[in-house]
Amino acid sequence: MSDLVALVVQQSLNGVYLGCLYVMVALGLTLIYGVLNQINFAHADFVTVGAFAAFFTATRLATRVLGLPDAGAYLLSLIVALGVGALLGLAVNAAVFAPLRRGDELRPLIATIGVSVLLENFQLWLFGPIPYQFDSPFSRETIRIGRIFFTAQSLLVVAVSASAIAALYAFMRFTFLGKALRAVAQDRETAGLMGINPNLLIALTIVIASALAGMAGALLGPVIVLTPFAGGTVIVKAFAIVIIGGFGNMQGTILAGILVGIIEAFTVQYLGSGLIDLVVFVLLLAMLVLRPTGLIAERKEENV
Amino acid sequence: MKPLLRTTVAALAAAVAFSAVAQDRVVRIGVLMPISGPGSYFGVMDKEGIELALERFRNGVNGYKLQVQYEDSACSPLQATNTAKRILDQFKPHVVIGEECSDASLAIAPILNEAKVVQLNVGSVTMKLTESGYKYTFRIFPNAEQQSLPLAKVAYNTLKARTAVILHEKTNAGSDNAEGFKKPFEAMGGKVLATIDFGRDVNDFTAIATRIASLGKVDVLPTFALEGQQVRLSQALAQAKVVKGGGGRAVQMGSIWLPYGYDQKAGQAAEGYVRIVQFDPTEKRKMVQDFVSAFKAKYGADKVPTHINAHAYDAILLVAEAVRRGGHDSESIRDQLSKMKGFEVTTGTISFDAKGQTSDLSVVHFVETQKDLSWKALNWQ
Repeated sequence: MSDLVALVVQQSLNGVYLGCLYVMVALGLTLIYGVLNQINFAHADFVTVGAFAAFFTATRLATRVLGLPDAGAYLLSLIVALGVGALLGLAVNAAVFAPLRRGDELRPLIATIGVSVLLENFQLWLFGPIPYQFDSPFSRETIRIGRIFFTAQSLLVVAVSASAIAALYAFMRFTFLGKALRAVAQDRETAGLMGINPNLLIALTIVIASALAGMAGALLGPVIVLTPFAGGTVIVKAFAIVIIGGFGNMQGTILAGILVGIIEAFTVQYLGSGLIDLVVFVLLLAMLVLRPTGLIAERKEENV
Repeated sequence: MKPLLRTTVAALAAAVAFSAVAQDRVVRIGVLMPISGPGSYFGVMDKEGIELALERFRNGVNGYKLQVQYEDSACSPLQATNTAKRILDQFKPHVVIGEECSDASLAIAPILNEAKVVQLNVGSVTMKLTESGYKYTFRIFPNAEQQSLPLAKVAYNTLKARTAVILHEKTNAGSDNAEGFKKPFEAMGGKVLATIDFGRDVNDFTAIATRIASLGKVDVLPTFALEGQQVRLSQALAQAKVVKGGGGRAVQMGSIWLPYGYDQKAGQAAEGYVRIVQFDPTEKRKMVQDFVSAFKAKYGADKVPTHINAHAYDAILLVAEAVRRGGHDSESIRDQLSKMKGFEVTTGTISFDAKGQTSDLSVVHFVETQKDLSWKALNWQ
């Protein structure tokens, strides 16, 4: 393999891995927008909560209490983070989103900012500001094929992301609840007239999105600098991906996430890492001007 | 007036007068540090160091009580500016310790100097802070040049490095440190293959490590970033087999920025990492060992103080010394600091140059991370 080919393959793999991390964060955002037409500014903090849940599961509960090996502990932490994310979504929906949904559309949006500040400061009080060192045992395993290398963690990230996407797709397409959810996304009132409980489906959407955010946190934990503000470092990129992909469009979000990951990797290689944000946000502006519907044109019935 | 009433009034008047004098005999120290945001670990460590130092001066210094007020400036120039204005207006400090981040420190320097209040900086490296002619600004942290020049000299002369890739965060501090390495290294005949900067929001360094691996033979990698990013960066460089910790040949080099404990966090990737340190908790000096013991007694036996704890601790020691020598307000404390020569603290001895920059770097030394992640002190300078 020539130097150039090896480099292109390596950076493409780096990009796909990074893209999968972004997709995991962005999927929840796009799901909530697709069904509720609402932006959740607290999504980053759901990711952080998931990361902390995974950290304490992997480093305390699973290893010290349950006596699991490191790898098993980390895998368990993914499931716990998923569950903690879901519970958090359920609680925040019941306490904040559901009561506010009846009034002005702006109120839930403002409320998500409030939830974000609250969660950040609560975590700051609980965990303190000093970064936690969250190492996945899979990060220590480097797989080398010729001159190409990747860690077992990156393989796990791609596998978990692909599984989550496939499971979400199957749920939406082939289950009654998934179809009902899509019906609510298309027309909430008509869906209600057909015997579907929109409030229940909206709660389910928030729970699924929050669970995905929690799991994204568990995958990101060993990558990011884990502090109560950690989610904020990826959320701006996730918003950009959701817009580039087409707000509320799942396929678009997946495509945009991978694309942004790959663009980032090649920007680092050929332009410089300091220009990553510039390149991504030029792409975002170009999309808004040239193709405001996003990579995959919005057709409401096909969203989510 | 009846005698009893007269006595009572006189006693009250005396009490009020005494209270006013007592209130006046206070040296007010404002502390501007990041308590919120990604840099808030600085604030936590600063406060630990300051609180510990204040215990030494519980009974005051030279008849003056040291009164401290903490404010959150969030490593942000805007918030630091607003906080500085507010604290000047409400607390009326004689000294302000802060900020940690260079950008925020630069933002408050003109405000404090305009108000003729001493700024004592304990953690910023940007050259501009003490090169801008501020009369009330002092810094006990080595500046970018003081940190980068020895790195460049050791890289070229001792490690025989001829090629380098400089990695730095995109801030005033990172850029100044990078420039501080690049110029002397190139002047000596070295070649900088690339200067790679990154924002503080960059998490994954695999692409950067891949790029460095593709640049060919790299001898040294001077790195200027906060601890969290340094850990991830070192791990990515090890995975890409660039640095010694991953079986590569390049030596990663770091500055005083990096707190004690980095090596344990980075794990095997840190092996072979060479850096300069100013505060070394293993240093045998009595001042250092007393500080380490007091710190452990207060915060826990397993907690080892970092340079951030130590610099904040030293700042209080320095203010107290200025007060002991007769300082009692901004002007007189400034005068005492200007005259300070050879005052021993945990991070060395303080002697300020004409610009208010610490000039005695005798304790600054190099260490190399060993296989067991311990430090090996090196006699390079």
